[in-house]
Amino acid sequence: MELAIRNRDLTKHYGRTRALESLDLEVPRGVVFGCLGPNGAGKTTWIRSLVGLLRPTRGRAEVFGIDVTERPNEVQARIGYLPGEFNADDDLTAEEYLRFLGSVRGQHDRDRFRSIAERLELDLGRRFGDLSHGNRQKVGIAQAFMSEPELLILDEPTSGLDPLVQREFLQMLREVRAEGRTVVLSSHVVSEVEAVADAVGILREGRLVVADAMEELKGSARRRIELTFAEPPPATVLQEVPGVRELRFDGRTARLVVEGSTADLVAALARYRVEDVVSHVPDLEEVFLHHYRTGGRQDDGADLQQDPP
Amino acid sequence: MTVPIFSKTLRDQRWALVLWSLGIGALLLVMAALWPTVRDLIDADLLAALPEALVELFDIDDMVTGVGFLNTEVFSILMPGLFIAYGVGRGAHAIAGEEQDGTLEVVLVSRLSRSRIALEKAAALAVSLTVLGAVGFAFTLLASSLADMGIPASYAANGALAMMLIGLQHGALAFAVGAASGRRGLAVGVAATVAVMGYVLHVAGVLVDGLEAWQPLSPFTQAIAAGPLSDTVPLGFAWLALAAVVFVVAALPRFTRRDAAAS
Repeated sequence: MELAIRNRDLTKHYGRTRALESLDLEVPRGVVFGCLGPNGAGKTTWIRSLVGLLRPTRGRAEVFGIDVTERPNEVQARIGYLPGEFNADDDLTAEEYLRFLGSVRGQHDRDRFRSIAERLELDLGRRFGDLSHGNRQKVGIAQAFMSEPELLILDEPTSGLDPLVQREFLQMLREVRAEGRTVVLSSHVVSEVEAVADAVGILREGRLVVADAMEELKGSARRRIELTFAEPPPATVLQEVPGVRELRFDGRTARLVVEGSTADLVAALARYRVEDVVSHVPDLEEVFLHHYRTGGRQDDGADLQQDPP
Repeated sequence: MTVPIFSKTLRDQRWALVLWSLGIGALLLVMAALWPTVRDLIDADLLAALPEALVELFDIDDMVTGVGFLNTEVFSILMPGLFIAYGVGRGAHAIAGEEQDGTLEVVLVSRLSRSRIALEKAAALAVSLTVLGAVGFAFTLLASSLADMGIPASYAANGALAMMLIGLQHGALAFAVGAASGRRGLAVGVAATVAVMGYVLHVAGVLVDGLEAWQPLSPFTQAIAAGPLSDTVPLGFAWLALAAVVFVVAALPRFTRRDAAAS
């Protein structure tokens, strides 16, 4: 498996602030990797270390096997980067700005940004200073995509985008992946990462709490199940099934939570007549909140933006 | 070889250059209009009535010639001040300013090394000050011919070169402090302090005998002691240019290794 990113003990301290602590992570090529965490969890510090804007206090960040600190420009030439606080010159039009960046990057096809601008419905003729926040973000996305880089590193890319443009943007990410290129994006919007990411890392107070493939994460998550029996529920049997938690009874119905695999529960139920099973497929948000609640001290993830139910 | 950062940095300055050129032109033309009056005012009686230190400091006895008048009234404080203000402003903005605005972030993540980016920006600073110097040269000759001041082209060229160099030296200092620290305010502060100290040392060197030996350390002395409108190219010019180069080169290792400032 070829790696796009490899972090070993990656650490960044600012004085006594531990912005990033001993991060070990591998991201293979050709995937979309989503980094989740509330504001201040270390997402931006991690991303700015990856693109060579920050020097790690300790540890290594490799991109395509190249140490970013030792040979930044070799790495940077292969990256499309969207900063969390993207800004461009107020007095340049979007087109002038993108042309300038094309020349900085030695891009031969100087007009490649046009098709991206069209997809995002960005007016290239307006001055950057006159654009709304959402339209400025589109300029940022266009500059990151236009060089068709092998690796896209995007810090909160959908901030300020309206829902239609967000959908188009997620579609662009899927196309990038289909071409075998790699995307790393950070977000505090769980649903957006869930919609597009193959693998997810969760940062909390500078530490990587978990990083795994999306399916693995969801598979290991807590699953709420409602079982309705034909006769009174076998309480003692259910209590002894490994992984079963929060068991409650309501007449012939048992409500419970399973952590990890449901295989033991299914085997235990084989001897009973179960009339109805209602299972809630865990979503990434539950996974996320679970890791935030159990990863160290209690934390309700108050900074986390949750979608309305 | 293309120089995208150089071209863009110059382009960013085009309106500032136009405005500063108008300012330089206006200053020289207004002074040219005043000169006949001043020339007729100064005579032996006036010189005798003024304190000797004042006459010495402002070279008032020279003001009856066009060269002396412009040296005293324009090229000692006002014109150096304009060039220093321009150089320091653009120098501090070049890296630290753009970094703090967040506009440099994406440019830094590119195939271009930080040294290359810094050198292209430093070159743009030098070129923009050279443009202002050329404007100063042209307006000096125009003022001279309009008011019949009789300033030779070689004198005007040396005067313009002195202004360009004193602007470049302070601009390079602001550039270097900004590149090394990522802080625009610090860059402006350090360069402005050096400018004020340099001026004070220059003036004190004229007035206080004990300080005369230290005077050549002042960038003002290096730039204007010979006139600056004169027919000689003083050694001080070389010191100004050397200092500018040393400032920029000294800042490169720090700029290439430090964290980029977050906007």
